[in-house]
Amino acid sequence: MSYRKYLVLYAETHLDTHSKKEMFNYYGDKTVKLNPMELYNLLPKTNCRLCEPKTCMAFATKLALGDVSPDDCPPLLEAGFEKNLEKIREMVAPMLSAEATGIKLDESKCTGCNNCVVVCPVDVAAEPPTSEGKAAMSTDTVFRVENGISKIINLEKCRRFPPDRLNCRVCEQYCCTDAIEIW
Amino acid sequence: MENIVCNGCSLLCDDVSAEVSGKTVSSLGFCRLGHAHLETAIAHKITSPDKKLERAADILTNSKNLLLYGWTHATDEAIKEGVELAKILKGHFGTSADLGQMQAMSHSIHSKGLDIDLEYVRNNGEFIIYWGSDPSESLHRHPSRFAVLPRGEKIPEGIESRTIGVVDVRQTETMKMANHRIILPTGSDAELLDIVISELEGKSTIKGKVLGIPGSELIGFVSGLQKSDCTVIFYGGGIINSGNQDANLSGIEKLVEVLRKLGKEAYALPMFVQTNSMGVIKAKSGENSLQRITSGEFDTALVVGDDALAHLPGPAAKALARTQIVYVGAPGGLTDSKATVSIHTTDPILVGSESMTRVDMNKIEFKKWKASKEDSVTSDVLLKLHKLVSKKRA
Repeated sequence: MSYRKYLVLYAETHLDTHSKKEMFNYYGDKTVKLNPMELYNLLPKTNCRLCEPKTCMAFATKLALGDVSPDDCPPLLEAGFEKNLEKIREMVAPMLSAEATGIKLDESKCTGCNNCVVVCPVDVAAEPPTSEGKAAMSTDTVFRVENGISKIINLEKCRRFPPDRLNCRVCEQYCCTDAIEIW
Repeated sequence: MENIVCNGCSLLCDDVSAEVSGKTVSSLGFCRLGHAHLETAIAHKITSPDKKLERAADILTNSKNLLLYGWTHATDEAIKEGVELAKILKGHFGTSADLGQMQAMSHSIHSKGLDIDLEYVRNNGEFIIYWGSDPSESLHRHPSRFAVLPRGEKIPEGIESRTIGVVDVRQTETMKMANHRIILPTGSDAELLDIVISELEGKSTIKGKVLGIPGSELIGFVSGLQKSDCTVIFYGGGIINSGNQDANLSGIEKLVEVLRKLGKEAYALPMFVQTNSMGVIKAKSGENSLQRITSGEFDTALVVGDDALAHLPGPAAKALARTQIVYVGAPGGLTDSKATVSIHTTDPILVGSESMTRVDMNKIEFKKWKASKEDSVTSDVLLKLHKLVSKKRA
């Protein structure tokens, strides 16, 4: 099934009529919002400094953002923490698959300001003039403003998806009208 | 798709494309405001003005005290024709930019070389401050094209290389991308500017909350100014329409000068929304026509490119409605429907020639495209009126 067909099918089966009009792009069917404190409570809390974030709280925050995996915590892999490790793996599993993250662009809120086009690193690489604030004209960018409203024309190029799987949310961060929502 | 120039607002975006196929208009890069403007311009049905010109010329020639009004949506060429027409008819050339903007532009802040063009801001602007202006509501592409997000010569990482400050009397959408968000009580801009200037001059006055703003927030804001090599302040309606315009502008002027004394680059630029406010400001002195309209001084008005009856304050609009109105501009609106003679003209975005003046005073030329029509151009209509009036007076 093509991605576009998937979107249409999803919209028809999951969303009500009103949402269908406003929701232009949707990827996946799970909302993943992890609480760092919940994850922290399952960690060994030794602050052993063996991981890159150095402290357990920092590790829990990065875990919630999808920047590290449970296997990056050496003490968690030791005997005695099996249940905690299993629980954490269950909690973060949806984030490790592409289907578990998504971008929603609400047309009714979009003013076509081009902020998403200019701030998106993928767009800048695909069409360099956008880095200087120019509007996107090609079909190679993630975002393009068409008829006064931003459209996600190549969601699969977004850095949040494989192979990059980066926790990038610049488009959401600089969308002044909150038209873009990432989860 | 063809590259054209949008005249939906004063940014006059020249990096956008559009095409018309039957009744369908498609565009790339236009903001919502610009696309709506383009759709409206395409939908207008313009009839030949020739039959109405004679009657309009009669009304103008017979007027005892003529007002030529509007102009903020007309091209520079049309404004030039209007100024000439005002001279031969001894009429008063007034504009909707008189409502605050003209006064702001006549303030010394704009005679001291404190402004700069937007391309320079994109390449060098390090600390961008929106003071009393909210581009996310009016000049949608201002942050993405010039001031906040784009990369420039000295701004290699775009937003990561800049600091953004927003000062306003309310929470605004632009604040979402700001590092410094300052909400101040209405009418206290000048006072806040004084405090910031004192702090920059080393006379520390911030001891705790100031004007309801936490001291730490203000000190952070001042520290941002001290760290920045190039600060640009974009002032808007909050500064010029708060009833304390002179003091506010003087405060911004002083802030820019103090930063320059500290060896920093600093500039102040206005954020006027109307498409060609700057074109009309360039063409006219700082004389204000609002009081003269309200006093009922004029018996006839030639209104060009603006729906003046809808936009003027109540008493001025009522006084204007009592005059004989000759309207030249896009179809629709209150002024068009109330006018004694209405001559409809094609929007400059479709004419595809002539020019307007961008908000930073740079001239932007319109571009010809497939949908271009030259059947009723405002400047041509004014030139024909000019000739007819001259003939009748002779």
